[in-house]
Amino acid sequence: MALTLPSGDQSSDQDNWDNGRLARKRQLLTEIVLRNRLTALVVDADTTCRVLEQLLLRSYGVQTQGVDNGRDAVTLIASGVKFNLIIIDMILPILNGLEKATRQIRDMGVHCKMLGVTACSGESERQAFLAAGVDVFIEKPLDPEHLVPILRELDG
Amino acid sequence: MWHGIDMYSLVYSFGFVPCACEHQGIVDDQFTQLRKLEDENSPHFVMEVASLFFEDCEKLINNMAIALEQKQGVDFKQIDECIHQLKGSSSSIGAMRVKNACIAFRSFSDGQNREGCLRCLQQLSHEYSLLKNKLQTLFRLEKEIVAAGGSIPRVH
Repeated sequence: MALTLPSGDQSSDQDNWDNGRLARKRQLLTEIVLRNRLTALVVDADTTCRVLEQLLLRSYGVQTQGVDNGRDAVTLIASGVKFNLIIIDMILPILNGLEKATRQIRDMGVHCKMLGVTACSGESERQAFLAAGVDVFIEKPLDPEHLVPILRELDG
Repeated sequence: MWHGIDMYSLVYSFGFVPCACEHQGIVDDQFTQLRKLEDENSPHFVMEVASLFFEDCEKLINNMAIALEQKQGVDFKQIDECIHQLKGSSSSIGAMRVKNACIAFRSFSDGQNREGCLRCLQQLSHEYSLLKNKLQTLFRLEKEIVAAGGSIPRVH
């Protein structure tokens, strides 16, 4: 049986060269080998997001825990568990990520890196989340290009 | 020579099925990046997370359909929460067209436009069905290739 190749626009040699360079650059940006054992807490009510965020962190060798609401995050941290990084969704059940959980975590004297994530972002949401205490604000998805520089910084 | 290997497996082995999904905009680079994270320790995690996503997506679409049918008045806050969650999870798994459908949907929800929301829900359902069909085909092919003694070409 003859194999029919899918039709489509033929890329120019220049396009292929540019795409190859871009792919290589992105690969370099997302490659990292951590020297230290980092730990992270992922606070996200959405199962798909929470699982993916944890998997992404684990792929870089970060030891992770995940909770699906703000109250459990605060309780866990109040129990004395330490993390290098907390990734927290803006909208959470029980204890909202923005006004309540983030502020309470900071009020406990926790100074670790906090990365605020949200599905829909506007400038007002960004400012509010930063004011609540997160260090970095990202619109979902959490991807390697955003995460790796943070991990590099934490790894020293 | 090709015993046990059908046409689709040949097509897959040339990398066309995953590329076709990205080429058609059904998935974006986030999906490709997640696939790159699969290894011998977690070879199927994207498929497993996709299953979680499908379950949540169906639930949210159903909830929105019920909300839009309420005779006593549509709870647009609930609709907005569903869209927000679905936008987050679809962007996290790289389901680009589902994500874009959520963005369009949000503008009608913000405007409390019931008819517009109904049209958007229909479009969202269509994009979800397309995504589910394509990804389930992809994962099925991979299983067949492995069962036939082949290996899945890892994306690099």
